[in-house]
Amino acid sequence: MTAPAANRNRRGRGGGPLSGEGRWALLFLAPTILGLVVLSAGPILATIAISLTKWDLLRAPQLVGLDNFVDLASDDRFLLALRNTAFYTVVSVPLGMVISLGLALALNQTIRGIAWIRTAYFLPVVTSTIAIALVWQWIYSPDSGLLNQFLATFGIAPQRWLSNSTLVMPAIVVMSVWQGLGTNIIIFLAGLQAIPGELLDAASVDGAGRWARFRNVVLPLLTPSIFFTGVLSLIDSFQVFDQVFVLSRPRPTDATITVVYFIYENGFKFFKMGYASAASWVLFVIVAVFTTIYFRSQNRWVHYQ
Amino acid sequence: MTAPTAPVLPSPSQSPWPRRLRTTRRALFIGVLILGGILMMVPFFWMITTSLKTRAEVFAVSPTILPTQPRWENYAEMWNALPFAAFFVNSVKLAALNTIGQVISCSMAAYAFAVLRFRFRGPLFGLLLATLIIPFQVVLVPNFILYRMLPHPFSTSGNWIGTQEPLWVGAFLGGAFGTFLLRQFFLSIPRELADAARVDGANPWQIYRRIYLPLAKPALATLAIFTFMWTWNDFINPIIYLRDVNSFTLTAGLSLFQGQFVGKWPLLMAGALVSVIPMIILFIIAQRQFVRGIAMTGIKG
Repeated sequence: MTAPAANRNRRGRGGGPLSGEGRWALLFLAPTILGLVVLSAGPILATIAISLTKWDLLRAPQLVGLDNFVDLASDDRFLLALRNTAFYTVVSVPLGMVISLGLALALNQTIRGIAWIRTAYFLPVVTSTIAIALVWQWIYSPDSGLLNQFLATFGIAPQRWLSNSTLVMPAIVVMSVWQGLGTNIIIFLAGLQAIPGELLDAASVDGAGRWARFRNVVLPLLTPSIFFTGVLSLIDSFQVFDQVFVLSRPRPTDATITVVYFIYENGFKFFKMGYASAASWVLFVIVAVFTTIYFRSQNRWVHYQ
Repeated sequence: MTAPTAPVLPSPSQSPWPRRLRTTRRALFIGVLILGGILMMVPFFWMITTSLKTRAEVFAVSPTILPTQPRWENYAEMWNALPFAAFFVNSVKLAALNTIGQVISCSMAAYAFAVLRFRFRGPLFGLLLATLIIPFQVVLVPNFILYRMLPHPFSTSGNWIGTQEPLWVGAFLGGAFGTFLLRQFFLSIPRELADAARVDGANPWQIYRRIYLPLAKPALATLAIFTFMWTWNDFINPIIYLRDVNSFTLTAGLSLFQGQFVGKWPLLMAGALVSVIPMIILFIIAQRQFVRGIAMTGIKG
């Protein structure tokens, strides 16, 4: 790919101080190029080809055209997976962003011990979702779970959080928002600390109160951070898997199956490689479409300094 | 203003509120923050206390918050119920291999993109960045098929499925996140350093090894910590590729444990705690790098 490039580079520019840099570049980039070809960019193309086949890995793949996509469109479990993933995204992304923005504003000050308080908010980010979901499964447990115990002190009857089809997705959302707050808070804090103090001073001189300063100075200057956390949360939420795997043991119900679980189940439990690849492509297209729309929207509300 | 030495111009710290009210508001504010912090810690606290209770205490009609007497035996019981020592070793081994692989391969690629001049530099970098937004689940199937085609001398399947190799070899083949992170850092290193070394006869490899790598230690540390954490917490790849229980990582082992010890909360919580403690320790030691890494790249845990 870059081998001829290196030669052309050398000949084209006729030696000079840059001669041979193309060759060095090839050496430095060899692992990356191999990775792109066999592990990321190449496989994406392969997924298209595989999605047009029926392939159980035991027999040779059978070309079936767009059958897999047609089947997906009428597969109730896949449609439920799409609906649940959409619900998860629509609820968890705004909720997580609003709460973390509020917390970042509160945490953006110098008091003794603030570092310890911040650590408390960051800690869930670094812990594995599998271990954390196990703890939440126990918190949500119908028998002696912490949540039901807590609600009992207010006279609220115990709920079956994880087996009630209305409550289970909100329960998963709450756990995920709790775990993800730290990431957003860190990005917001970085954004807040980049706001020039003079701007706030100037606003104060002009008689702007706390709320006016927030609304007219802080918030507009923070829109790049808000946009950024939005992109990350959006992409991340389409990929929800670990929480669902642990919290809806032994296997996700109609109320909890998500797109990635659907891919996992078809690809690696039922070994329907073509079908799983088709579902992967649908996921990819959804993520791409939403990310593009979101990026297009930024002219309207994101202010870059 | 109540302050006797009030300056003519109000400083931003001064609000129209009387001082005493301001102090109360501030105290209230901090109180809410602390309460929120405690709320964030409740699941951890609940995990620790449960891990030290007896089963009878856990299911008591009126349960207590703390165990009457900490039952440390839960940890021994958990540790021996499944090969947790092996899980632990496997997680450490895979996290270390991934970290080494990413630091080497990404720093090499980042050096080429930041310092060397060559044809197709822009398009190649663009292609690499484009892979950032592609959900990795999209390539799960083709990667699985690839590893299934590769022969393996010691595997019972004859290929890479069922071995740990698919979980670390790819880390030596670069990655968009690490390359991007390090390239940004390399770009901030003054070019004069490289130029001077070149005049003295150093080749690009020597410039990379002796100038860029030593200067990029903070960025390398950030990449190392994130790679370690991602590998440690990865779940979907271990459950797809690993077959033999003794080769499981902590996340895969914990999931197996969950399936086999349903309702035995003290043991399950002990297992969960053991698997998160290394990351918590790493976080406390390297909090600065963590925070900088997230703020710089926005990549989450």
